[in-house]
Amino acid sequence: MKPITVTLIVNGEPRTITTEPNKTLLYALRDDLGLYGAKDACGGEGECGACTVILDGEPVNSCLVLAGQADGCHVETIEGLAAGGQLHPLQRAFVETGAVQCGFCTPGAILAAKALLDRAPDPTDDQIREALSGNLCRCTGYTKMIAAVRRAAEEMSHVR
Amino acid sequence: MQEIDFYRADSLDDLYRLLAETGGRVIAGGTDALVQMQRDAFPAAVVIDASRIADLRYIREDGDRIEIGALTTYADLLASSLVRRAAPSLIAAAETVGAPQTRARGTLGGNIANASPAGDTLPPLLALDASVTLSSARGVRVLPLGEVLCGSRQTCLEPGEIIASIAFRRLPDPSGSAFIKLSNRRGMSIAVVSVAAALALDAAGCIVEGRVALGAVAPTAVRSPAAESALAGEVPGAETFRRAARAALGDIAPIGDVRATAAYRREAAARLVIRALNGAWEHAGGRVGA
Amino acid sequence: MSADTFTVGKTEIRKDAWDKVTGAAAYVDDVALPGMAVGMVVRSPHHHARIARIDARAARDVPGVLAVITAADVPGSKTFGPLAQDRPALAVDEVRHLGEPVAIVVAESKTAARRGVKAVAVEYEPLPAVFDPTAALEPGAPQVHPGGNVVTRYDVAGGDVEAGFAQADIVLEHVFEVPRIAPGYMEPEASTAEWGADGTLTVWVSSQKPFEDRHQIASVLGLPQDAVRVRSAVIGGAFGGKEDSGLAILAALAAWAVKGTVRLVNNRHESFLAHPKRHPARLFYKLGAKRDGTLVALQATVHMDTGAYSSYGPAVGGLLTEMVPGAYRIPHVRVETLVVYTNSPFSGAMRGFGSPQAHFATESLIDMLAGELGMDPLELRRKNILRPGDRFFTGVPLDRTASSLPVILEHVAAARARLAAIPAPAGRVAGVGFALAVQSMGLGYRVPDDSTNRLEWAPDGTIRVYVGAPDLGQGLATAAEQIAAEALGIPYSDVRALAVDTALSPNGGVTCASRMTYVVGNSVMMAARQLIETLLAYAADKLSVPRAALAYRRGAVVLPSGETIPVAEFASRAADEEVPLRAEATFSFPYPEATTPKHLPVGMPHGMFVFGGQVARVEVDRDLGTVEVTNLVAIHDVGQVINRAGVEGQIEGGVATGIGYALYESVRLKDNGQWVDGFTEYLLPTAEDVPARIESVIVEVPEASGPYGVKGVGEITLVPTAPAITNAVCDATGVRVTAIPIVPEDVARAADPA
Repeated sequence: MKPITVTLIVNGEPRTITTEPNKTLLYALRDDLGLYGAKDACGGEGECGACTVILDGEPVNSCLVLAGQADGCHVETIEGLAAGGQLHPLQRAFVETGAVQCGFCTPGAILAAKALLDRAPDPTDDQIREALSGNLCRCTGYTKMIAAVRRAAEEMSHVR
Repeated sequence: MQEIDFYRADSLDDLYRLLAETGGRVIAGGTDALVQMQRDAFPAAVVIDASRIADLRYIREDGDRIEIGALTTYADLLASSLVRRAAPSLIAAAETVGAPQTRARGTLGGNIANASPAGDTLPPLLALDASVTLSSARGVRVLPLGEVLCGSRQTCLEPGEIIASIAFRRLPDPSGSAFIKLSNRRGMSIAVVSVAAALALDAAGCIVEGRVALGAVAPTAVRSPAAESALAGEVPGAETFRRAARAALGDIAPIGDVRATAAYRREAAARLVIRALNGAWEHAGGRVGA
Repeated sequence: MSADTFTVGKTEIRKDAWDKVTGAAAYVDDVALPGMAVGMVVRSPHHHARIARIDARAARDVPGVLAVITAADVPGSKTFGPLAQDRPALAVDEVRHLGEPVAIVVAESKTAARRGVKAVAVEYEPLPAVFDPTAALEPGAPQVHPGGNVVTRYDVAGGDVEAGFAQADIVLEHVFEVPRIAPGYMEPEASTAEWGADGTLTVWVSSQKPFEDRHQIASVLGLPQDAVRVRSAVIGGAFGGKEDSGLAILAALAAWAVKGTVRLVNNRHESFLAHPKRHPARLFYKLGAKRDGTLVALQATVHMDTGAYSSYGPAVGGLLTEMVPGAYRIPHVRVETLVVYTNSPFSGAMRGFGSPQAHFATESLIDMLAGELGMDPLELRRKNILRPGDRFFTGVPLDRTASSLPVILEHVAAARARLAAIPAPAGRVAGVGFALAVQSMGLGYRVPDDSTNRLEWAPDGTIRVYVGAPDLGQGLATAAEQIAAEALGIPYSDVRALAVDTALSPNGGVTCASRMTYVVGNSVMMAARQLIETLLAYAADKLSVPRAALAYRRGAVVLPSGETIPVAEFASRAADEEVPLRAEATFSFPYPEATTPKHLPVGMPHGMFVFGGQVARVEVDRDLGTVEVTNLVAIHDVGQVINRAGVEGQIEGGVATGIGYALYESVRLKDNGQWVDGFTEYLLPTAEDVPARIESVIVEVPEASGPYGVKGVGEITLVPTAPAITNAVCDATGVRVTAIPIVPEDVARAADPA
């Protein structure tokens, strides 16, 4: 395999790596860049959403994107969500609503929710469910996750 | 994870050159291809990423003809008011593909190239009489979608050839369409059976043309000529739709697998044809009766 | 929240949540240690085969491969297991299930490791395989282990079933089937092991039982236990499936082989094939009753498929046996349970531990009886539910906590009426069903069940809780912190639980069996009392006053004058003197001498129980047979709420798991001879598959011996769900489903000539 050199703009910062051509964006973030928030829960088959990041503004399963495909793209990861030491309302809402148990699905779910709120700031519960439908969770039954997204949406709408 | 080499094509010419030089295979959204790689089943040692070729990502209207570039994603389709108006059954199918993460990356061209028997957009595209433009360094050819899909996970694409665009014409009004997907779970699901139906009516409300396409009940998504014959010239309604559904059974060959038995698929296909035809009729402004 | 408590009963925010929402929480695969190598497992592609030869030469020659380890290299015990040591760490001369570990490749990179795995050449001689427990009992069935296919047989009776059936006016017999379920934790198994220069091993685990892992690792590595240190990483879910030392042992072997640091992380397929599942079972039930609905006799024969290795199978079999009569008073009961080997992926501990299986059958059959008698199923329950003073068929008496059952039933009645009033939409039929559940707490009589936990005053006056059992994500650490805070009268924010580390923590037991808040909480309360004593004794000495002159209140020592001195003053001084103020207490799960029957197999009986009930509303597409759960009301008695959001979280998550059990999930053999082994085919409920309305009704009938009255809620929340759903489907359609997951084909109306 011939190594490839890729520049990812991760949370606003350009990061250049030279890596194997079959490296997915998920493992480029984890193993090459030390950003472990995105997780592999389904064996890299795009079935669980734990690897969700926001790529050029859209929520994607980073396990289904080759690192080479993301060259020059903007990648938002969970590590970049808190701005200037302040947690994003979604992060705070997940904590305060009790939507975090084992936490393994949490970063992916928060980013999927952020992608929703970025384009639909006042979602219905059905829209929230749909936005989270690609994020599997075995601990919470989703109820509090949906409540957390609703709560964050309300908080963010007051700020606007 | 399979070992592959990676190239990116920034233009169509780039793509043709790389295809010729590397013997590699094109990937776009990657939502099927990467899964194949995970399973050591990607059919080439080289990946050529075409996802950045902007020329192939568009939605255009020319009179009653809609043309969609192969790299148009499901999210693009869902955001297009044009497609919503012109092809609501395609929208209905796009809404059910995977999850938001899949829909942000997966492309219409990819759904065709993957040629899964259960590919969600394929029945609606067949029911729209969609044609596919295949292009290569040698030129262009246009085929009906049905001829592009030649077997389970097999297309008739020749070496060096890519899917460039998909086109279809709106059915003249009054007409209506519908798409129904039966699956074992609501979220992130593969179709157990899917049906796309369209009806074009005349001024008296009779069926001028009916189209019925089914997914996950044959090696490829298929149109049902038998069902369509049973519809042509008939008065829409329960009896006509039942006959069409029964006729459709002759055009399918469902298998049993982890998701359902063959017998269930047959039974469900018949029921879904009726429902899809009712849906199309209602969409056309008709009244769904007993 | 009780007026008498200031943190217990309150929804305190769990402290580990902050790291989890920022991506900072360190799960095993998130920690890259210096010089860490990658381990990958070579696994059997056969269900059952003899190993003729393992040739690792080509693998060892792959650039970047550091070592290839096989059973021949294992320095200590070749096999391990929590009950029977029947499972090889690495297959010796036979593989018994698809995916069984045969060798470990250690390499410098994942790519090199993958190449190494591909290059290991194993010659197999396939053997006949069996995948069904009933078939495995037949004479001539392939033998999975030399001693035959029966691991354990239980035959437990109370009363005389033959006499009972003779008295019955009506007798029903049915067979129920329940599937193999994956625990489905999102974090696949992972472990990192580091071989120290001094010949000690440190192993990071995602595990419910670090202390037992240490024991098993030491045994396989041939090391003394105190040469092995096991540290708990943040755990991404467990649900019973991580009561298994398998992967930690492989990591330890790998580290030992290269005398370095190696991390092994399973992918999801490996998790499905080679780590514990919920036991599938076939349950043959015979129920006898009087015409007025009084239950008189219940006989059950249960075939449980424990797969290729026994894991916790015998214990699950014991609990299943006890749970067969459910929440009912039945004078004559006999249960025969066979735990059977097959060549399926092995089953072990999983949330519910035999109770979901039994309850599916029992709660279905009780509803069927109601149908036969023309009786309201609620009335039938009322007639027969256990009351304080009744005994289980094992002879265990029920105390006043059983008084929650009629309360639960009343909530069930109200919920049922409410849900039944919701009209079905066009094109569908609706139905409402319910089920009751009882779940035991504890490991069972004569199974050692001690939890030791330690409290320590940090120099700044805050409390460190050395909880000896891990938090799996369910909130055990938070519960321990709240109980410690309550007992010491200090703010919850001043109490912090530490992760389990066998070098530093006391042994708190295995996190399982719905008993952690109970045993850890009790132990923490005992330790708190001792800690206060230790503090006052120390303070008295430092202040040169008699101990009796001092009192403790809310983080301060109170002098006779009424003046208070914050604990920090003494704690920092004690830390300087290197005698930190700490107290450790061991709580043993109680089995009262006077009332615990002693004639039963080890592990039986259980003596403490929690109760619950759930009501489900379903909508069914009559023609397609598809079922949707639209509403679920879960009524659970938890004794006392420690943390409301925590309890609700257990309920909501349990209900979702129960829905998966009823509708979607099954690890089964496909036509191509492969197992369902990934999330494409194993369908976990998504956010769109759980009801928009899951209502939790929390009942509090305090357990006198529980810390603040608490009982356990971790398992019961998924027990009544599946039978509530199938009962609802019957209500909606008249179709009685006796095997789960529900197959739409079985519910669909018979073919209408289309």
